[in-house]
Amino acid sequence: MIRFENVTKVYDGGVVALKDVTVDIAKGEFVFLVGPSGSGKSTMIRLMMREEAPSNGDIWVAGKHASNLPNWKVPHLRRSIGTVFQDFKLLPNKTVYENVAFAMEVTGKARSVIRTQVPQVLKLVGLSTKADRNPRQLSGGEQQRVSVARAFVNRPLILLADEPTGNLDPATSVGIMRILDRINRTGTTVVMATHDHAIVDAMRRRVVQLDRGRVVRDESRGVYETSVRSTPPEPAPAAAARSAAEPETSSAAEESAGEVASADGAAAVTAGAEAVAVGEITGEVPVVTEPGAET
Amino acid sequence: MTRLRYVAREAFQNIGRNALVVLGAILAVFISLTLTFGTVVFGEVVRINTLQWAEDVRVIAFIQDDVAPAAIADLQSEIKTWEEVEDVFFVTKSEALEEAQVLLANQPASLRVLNEQPDIIPASLRVQPTEPDDYQTIVIRLEGTPGLRDVQSAGPAIEAMIALRDGLRIMFWLLALALGVAAVALIANTIHMAIYARREEIEIMRLVGASNWFVRTPFIVEGAVEGLIGGVLAVAFIVVVQKMAVDRLTELPQWINVAVNNDFLMQRGALVLLFGVLAGLVGSSLSLAVHRHLRA
Repeated sequence: MIRFENVTKVYDGGVVALKDVTVDIAKGEFVFLVGPSGSGKSTMIRLMMREEAPSNGDIWVAGKHASNLPNWKVPHLRRSIGTVFQDFKLLPNKTVYENVAFAMEVTGKARSVIRTQVPQVLKLVGLSTKADRNPRQLSGGEQQRVSVARAFVNRPLILLADEPTGNLDPATSVGIMRILDRINRTGTTVVMATHDHAIVDAMRRRVVQLDRGRVVRDESRGVYETSVRSTPPEPAPAAAARSAAEPETSSAAEESAGEVASADGAAAVTAGAEAVAVGEITGEVPVVTEPGAET
Repeated sequence: MTRLRYVAREAFQNIGRNALVVLGAILAVFISLTLTFGTVVFGEVVRINTLQWAEDVRVIAFIQDDVAPAAIADLQSEIKTWEEVEDVFFVTKSEALEEAQVLLANQPASLRVLNEQPDIIPASLRVQPTEPDDYQTIVIRLEGTPGLRDVQSAGPAIEAMIALRDGLRIMFWLLALALGVAAVALIANTIHMAIYARREEIEIMRLVGASNWFVRTPFIVEGAVEGLIGGVLAVAFIVVVQKMAVDRLTELPQWINVAVNNDFLMQRGALVLLFGVLAGLVGSSLSLAVHRHLRA
């Protein structure tokens, strides 16, 4: 469904965002992109939706050669992709219903189709009763659910989410993840860039870890950070891969170790909430631990 | 259908939102096109009134109907040898009739007389003086010539009219051009503001895969509508002024005719509207071309 082949992205000014990345994501997979800020997660998302073109390498998305796609064909690619962002990107002067309908309107869907699809997808995200509200009358979690509804209303093959829970508290994030999981179960490929340890660890889906533009770990049913978890599946290879990739940057490694340690502390503080989160996600969707769609 | 409604709604919504800027753009189009159309209509009035005096003809000698063609040819070559004469044209009876029909187009009574007795219009020799001031001499010399029944010269009014037209024409065209450029720039500015006001919407449209033309069409329609409104105002203004002039200037000497053919007004008016729409299209296209929110 999505394939990166030796993709390198260098931004104007020489910032190298991705270095020789090769990743293959199959139809129906749920993939977390993890890694520190600036590691290239968002760049990967932007390349997938052809917001940017790679400097080198090839990208295929939904059967299209995205890296070679002429600008005027980009809209057609986008119609097979739904996108969710940290800042929701809702239109404040439109109601919830109108925000979702907007995605269908501007892609030329018939009114009758809009009238049946929008209520359905609002029901899916649990906002049927708030269809006539304005986004500013909703909580952050509700706003993000509207944005997920908008991303899904055209039934895309792929759903891309860039830090969708970045502005939300853990309990609210669980609600969003439950919806993304449900969407994934319809056969939609979901790619989510995130910093959220609790979510990644609870979901146990494929994890692609990036560090300074390189893929340093790619494992099915992974957790957020193998080196700090008490039961890391493959701690040694990951660490080895990283030190092999960046042997000269030991100070940076120390830095990130410190970062991880503090993150770990934070995780300990929210351990209670995390436990609830894990329970909620797995409770709601018991099949979450089965390999299922990943194959 | 959904799409058409969408485009119309979006285009008019913005016109309402930025009413003041839009008003400025429409005014600029209006003034520019008023000058353009005014110049065209005034030029037509002058053309009609100076039809006989075109190509620097300043003296007309009407020939009696009984003069033989050979005699006319002799007379023409003789006059041509006069040193104060640059050139002489012969206008036949039928050519003169056509000319009279144009001249009297807005005077139905005279036109009816003309159609009943087409023979009353005489053939004529039209004389172009070497120096415009020499026409008096030519008139005096012609008046004694046999076979001629009347000699007319262009009066000072005709001279003034032609001079006014030539002077105004250049000034008006330059002004209209400058204002036309201003109008395009102002329309581009209104579209720029519209794009800016809706940048979030545009971003989302692009995210969900709206085609480039879907995003652009409302802005293009908006520019065209602004240009069209300015054009309609300009045409309406000039037509009203022209009709008022016809009604008010009844005291003018009979031979000055300020009425302009309705077909002419409609044809040129349509052209002016087209120019308005074009100005709008150019303005909005310029704005769209430079705007980064609309780049894929």
